[in-house]
Amino acid sequence: MSGPVPVKCVVWDIDNTLLTGVYLEAGDRPPAADPVLAAVLAELGGRGILHALASKNPPAAAEHTAAVTGWQFAAAECGWGRKSDALPKIAGTLGIGVDTLAFVDDDPVERAEVASALPQVLVLTPDEAAEAPGWPEFSPPVVTAEARRRGQLYAERRQRQAAQRSFGGSRDEFLRSVGTNVRIARASRADLPRLAELAVRTRQFNSAAGRGDGQPPAEVVPPDWFAGLLADPVTDLLTVWLRDSFGDDGLVGGCVIARGDPAAWTVSLLMISCRAMGRGVAEALLAWLTRRAASEDALALRVPCTIDERNLPLRLALAGAGFRAASRAPGGPTGDPAPAGPAASPAIGVFERALAGPLPGLADWVHPDPETPLPSPGPEPA
Amino acid sequence: MTTATDVTASELREILATLTGRDELLAIPAGTPLFGGAVALDSLTGTLLLREIQRRFGVDVAAEDLNLDALATLGTLAEFVAARRGQAG
Repeated sequence: MSGPVPVKCVVWDIDNTLLTGVYLEAGDRPPAADPVLAAVLAELGGRGILHALASKNPPAAAEHTAAVTGWQFAAAECGWGRKSDALPKIAGTLGIGVDTLAFVDDDPVERAEVASALPQVLVLTPDEAAEAPGWPEFSPPVVTAEARRRGQLYAERRQRQAAQRSFGGSRDEFLRSVGTNVRIARASRADLPRLAELAVRTRQFNSAAGRGDGQPPAEVVPPDWFAGLLADPVTDLLTVWLRDSFGDDGLVGGCVIARGDPAAWTVSLLMISCRAMGRGVAEALLAWLTRRAASEDALALRVPCTIDERNLPLRLALAGAGFRAASRAPGGPTGDPAPAGPAASPAIGVFERALAGPLPGLADWVHPDPETPLPSPGPEPA
Repeated sequence: MTTATDVTASELREILATLTGRDELLAIPAGTPLFGGAVALDSLTGTLLLREIQRRFGVDVAAEDLNLDALATLGTLAEFVAARRGQAG
């Protein structure tokens, strides 16, 4: 059985869907919330599923809907454009794939328009949405504390994005101005559930994603795989933590470094939450990894990585950090196994970076954990 | 004389300025590196840029260019897109 794609965000229509009427026709007394769907918002939100709005209405309708449903929507597209244009915008804002969206609208024309333009979106009537909490698409296998806080974290993300749009300076200046802090630390047993969740949920920033040929990464990374790594003397299991003045995102990434070949280290899994996209985390982690490997006299750092259209962000980060794809065969001609995946895999490029010469710069807001017995990755921040 | 690459480069400058909210990117020379430097393209902006290029010009840079060599500078990207735009229908 290939399970359904888990829904990460439900995009709701407003008129006659979340509201029991039409916002613009109601005059001074805008309609109340639909009580059944308001309960669905809360139930799914508690499972870490996000909610967004797509409505042919002025932005004030979104504010009213948030007020009467009591829900903080992670994104809202209000206007008179096509909803099939609004949904990719919402997915882009949230940094998630369009195929992880569900769309709820009472209007059959809107549903047909979205279903036709975006066949990968799960399209539902309000009645179907009321049943959705019982469906497997809306039942994530692991729900961690991070997941339950996800709605709040995305609301913080929206505030951060608004601040960034009005900032004007470079991205690096912005990240510094909001007190961005990336901490890299060795994983402990307590981190394992969150790492397993990241392995399931991350797709755009997951070097092993999709190796099961359409299966979620959970099929690739066995649940106890991470636990086994904790005791492996030539493998590092690392966690990446992120916070800034808008909020604390907690554990947003992980990576596995195989040091079995001292001359060429292999990052056999690299995964970062899409929530951290645009916040310098991938760039910081790759810069730190190259610096750490170089400090231990490794000559090259390799990242075997699935090549598909969905993990383009990871490939962009690799290209930006000076990695080159050395081969596309599974495993590659150098005999590197792809430890996180089976041998029969789709296209895998082995991205490699020589560690001689200048290395990517490490921002001073990246903090290797002082408690972690890792060698210094270069000039330490004060 | 204005070439197809020049025209594409101007359009790419506008996309970059819109995506980043930084109007100074409207004036960058063709030789400006996209990773690092003044543009400092990160993975998020890069993804949005390539999506917009695919939507507007019908050119899928990521599918055609495994190593993303086209993203070396604004000029190399403009050349890559100008040579392919419109061909996909």
